[in-house]
Amino acid sequence: MITFQLLDWIWLILFVLLMVFFGFYFYRLGKRSQSDYFLADRGLPWWLPASSVYATHTATDTPIWVAGVVYKYGFAGLWYAFYAAWCAISAFVSTRIFRRSLAYSQAEWQTLRFGELGAELLRGWIAGWSVFMNMFILGWVGIAMGKLCAMLFGWDLYVGLLIFTAIGAVYVYTSGYWGVVMADFQQGVIALLVIIIVSVYGVVAAGGPTAIISKLDSYNSTCEWKVPDVSSSNVTAVVRIIDPELGTELSRSAPFTISGQEDEALFRKTEEKVRASVVDEASKTDQRSKVLFPDANSVLLANHGYNIVWAKSNERKFVDVEFSLDNGMTWDLIAKNQFEGQSWRLNPMSFTGMFEGQFPVAWFITMMIIALIGGFGMGTAIDWYTEAQRIQSAKTVRDASYSIWAGTALVLIRNSIWAAAILGFFVLNPHLGQSGDYEMAWYRVGFEYLPVGMVGFLFAGIIAIHLSTVSTHLNLGAMYITRDFYHHYINPEASEQKLVSVGRVSTIIILIGSFIFGLIIGEEITAWLIFALWIMAAGVWLPNILQVIWWRFNSWGFLSAWIANLGLSWLVVWILPSFGVIPELPDYLQFWALFVLNGMIYLPVTFLTKPENMDHLVSYYVMSRPIGFWGPVRAEAIKQGLIKPSKT
Amino acid sequence: MPIIQREWTPESADEMHKEDWFAIIFSVIAYIALLIGTAMSALFIPVGFFILIIGILATIIMYWIIDPKLRAISSEYEKQEKDYLLKLEEIQKWEANK
Repeated sequence: MITFQLLDWIWLILFVLLMVFFGFYFYRLGKRSQSDYFLADRGLPWWLPASSVYATHTATDTPIWVAGVVYKYGFAGLWYAFYAAWCAISAFVSTRIFRRSLAYSQAEWQTLRFGELGAELLRGWIAGWSVFMNMFILGWVGIAMGKLCAMLFGWDLYVGLLIFTAIGAVYVYTSGYWGVVMADFQQGVIALLVIIIVSVYGVVAAGGPTAIISKLDSYNSTCEWKVPDVSSSNVTAVVRIIDPELGTELSRSAPFTISGQEDEALFRKTEEKVRASVVDEASKTDQRSKVLFPDANSVLLANHGYNIVWAKSNERKFVDVEFSLDNGMTWDLIAKNQFEGQSWRLNPMSFTGMFEGQFPVAWFITMMIIALIGGFGMGTAIDWYTEAQRIQSAKTVRDASYSIWAGTALVLIRNSIWAAAILGFFVLNPHLGQSGDYEMAWYRVGFEYLPVGMVGFLFAGIIAIHLSTVSTHLNLGAMYITRDFYHHYINPEASEQKLVSVGRVSTIIILIGSFIFGLIIGEEITAWLIFALWIMAAGVWLPNILQVIWWRFNSWGFLSAWIANLGLSWLVVWILPSFGVIPELPDYLQFWALFVLNGMIYLPVTFLTKPENMDHLVSYYVMSRPIGFWGPVRAEAIKQGLIKPSKT
Repeated sequence: MPIIQREWTPESADEMHKEDWFAIIFSVIAYIALLIGTAMSALFIPVGFFILIIGILATIIMYWIIDPKLRAISSEYEKQEKDYLLKLEEIQKWEANK
């Protein structure tokens, strides 16, 4: 819990007032038309949607997630956040194509690219899915804010969720996307300032850049281990270190105790012992590879995360770590190819082998393919749906391209600034074995090391990153309801004023839906929805590209890909492994399995059904000028005199 | 003919050319170098500054290559945007199918 000083309150109140002011200031612009309320009348210079891309993708849960992967994998953890790099290619391919289509949303684009019943089914499905996802994301980030306020002020969980999401709703309701994008700009500036200031304090608190590097070089080796559940109250266990090349045992711990009891005080006390072992200087010279923790006196709690510590050795790069619950009769693997020492954390290319360990090259290559090649398509990343709105709000195709590129570049740079602070945090706290503890690294740096009077500034920055995400998803969700359901299916003749009113009512519907999601989100539903996001990326990844680059890919092929993916992903990820038909695959292999299996369904469906109507395709081609395999459509467009053949 | 074309007609700018591919390659290099370079520079690791400079140079080169083409595409497209918007609203109101 923290206590605010007068200066903290001044920061906070000033910022909230600024937010409300923006809502009313752009009221007149937002109410003019549907195009104003959802796209700022397609008139923004590149830097405004760019700041919105950056601000939207800086949410309250983002530093938690980035801290988690960087604390665990060092600078190499930054690659987990590199999925955003689909914009490297998209900015000059799919962004250009989408901006030229003029579709308000990705759902609407389906009716431009495809025709007839299949297109309408796709539009309905994508709009419905997007409404649901926007509510869910709002609930997710809202409850993250609720948890943060509970930790800082001791409020009930729902208080932080309701107050700060509702503040965002005020200016989204009144001025629509105009309010969102203008507020995003100032929120982006404040958030970036806060991120830089807190990160500098974090690095300085750890002794500065040079001290961080030298401490990482001196610390002993560690390996995170979640202690298994034990049925009886006390079990004797032992861990050992193996040379992975020779298969020989390098050292073994003394037998220690695993307890089934809950004892928070004991856990924290043991963590201090872990810390002492990691920073222990004396162990380096004469006790190479000796297990320093656990020792004979250690009592580890079941289902808790600890770090096994052994004396650092420069003779090898990796070791394997194993444990035994039957005094060495049988051994279970804890980690394959675990790095020696801690210096590896400074190397962004610290892989644990081609296929082995927790960070293999195969995962990295898969991620690079998904992220970069995905830029040729639309919807290959969940962020596409928010970016699509920013693309259409840019005043020209050129502005759209630069906005997406620059906004994402800022996201990547922001992650790197965080990463430096989190390595500083690691140097101060190298013992943490519970992900819930080290995921709060960046927030802890801010609240523990900023001087009095600056904590309010930090909290204002946290509100900024929360509101920027909340406002985007409120407006985006409302756009799908208004544009893709109400205007398209219910009242095609609605006036502009009527559509703005429906947009406002839809904002309230999305807000209420997000409160419900936020309050019911538990670990199980979260796990299920992460799975839902994952399957979206896996089986329909290639179809999302094919719909952009291949004229022959039709709506039935795309629909069958979505449906098949829903069934196949359950089979590959859960059902077949649970019956022992296939082994439990690492996530990158799940991706490739779904990639191949899904293709065996949607490709035959595509070829067995008719191509889209040629006139419809020509109309789309002339307007959007897609790249790729569009030869027959292009030839027809030239034949009809709609485009001229290129001379270069 | 220069390696990088910097004068574009509206018709030729609409097609995919080697300049687009060069821009894509430099764009990817820029993202990777900015990501790694910033992180390492923040801890004063010397090679980090070198990588960061590569990232900045790649960004400038990407801009230099692609900007003339993007300008040509945008100016030509803006002339037709109003007509396209009318067509979009026709589809939205199902009029195109009548």
